[in-house]
Amino acid sequence: MITVYSLKSVPEDMEIVTLNDVFFNRFTSEKLDNKADEMISKIDNAEMVSKFMIKSRFDGSVLNIDKLSTGCKTVLNIMYNPEKIFDIRECGENALDAVYSLDSGNICCPYPLVSFDVRKVKVNDKNGVKEMGSYDELKEWWMNEN
Amino acid sequence: MKIKPIISDSLSTKHTSFEVDFHFDYNITFICGDSGTGKSAVFSFLKELSAVDKRIVCLNYTDYNRNYKNSIRRYKGKIIIIDNADILLDDKIRSYIAFDGNNQYLIIGRNPTGLMLSADETYELSSEHYDGVIRFTLKKYI
Repeated sequence: MITVYSLKSVPEDMEIVTLNDVFFNRFTSEKLDNKADEMISKIDNAEMVSKFMIKSRFDGSVLNIDKLSTGCKTVLNIMYNPEKIFDIRECGENALDAVYSLDSGNICCPYPLVSFDVRKVKVNDKNGVKEMGSYDELKEWWMNEN
Repeated sequence: MKIKPIISDSLSTKHTSFEVDFHFDYNITFICGDSGTGKSAVFSFLKELSAVDKRIVCLNYTDYNRNYKNSIRRYKGKIIIIDNADILLDDKIRSYIAFDGNNQYLIIGRNPTGLMLSADETYELSSEHYDGVIRFTLKKYI
């Protein structure tokens, strides 16, 4: 399950990534493997045709993977970089649902951004880590933290 | 705030097999919607258009460490197109944009808070295919 970090209690040894496009293009893109296929198809309706190339949903043209949406890049950043915390504020609804479906990963946002499909998540605040299991509970915690 | 467009009520361009054909109802047009629907692609086409249309100024995450907020305050008579708005626009600059009577805005993001827009002032992209061309237009976001 993913962990939502309060901006007030980010551990000193963990970095927050806000510019998900830049981070993806520089670091995550070279880590992608078969696990990325499903997510790229699910969020952007694109197909990964080789390590750095995708087939566009619009006209089938083959594009560099830097043309993925910021929401899709954010999800892939979270999947492939478990040591960092990623700001999810640029995720559209479809990418947000994907974020909350991940088995693990770290996220933050200056305001509550919760998928209606949320199941269990961990939250990390000044009191430590605890589990939450509903949209309302998580949203209320988030509003009080920021 | 429902102010009519002060610079232009439309913007159109072509990029190989892609067409952008936007008609604006208000001075601030906020585009949101799912990831992967072509918002940043459209931004890149409009940025290209800015090379030949002096009215257009484009800002995105590559301007993050630049002095873009002061630039916005200095512009007059521009159509300011902003991608990655959730990252670039803080509360102060949103408030400035909401009351700016000198420029028109096309803003791509997720969160319209602070721009003083009502629900029917937000849009999403619509794309249609015809004769090998993909045409992007605006439709109301529901």
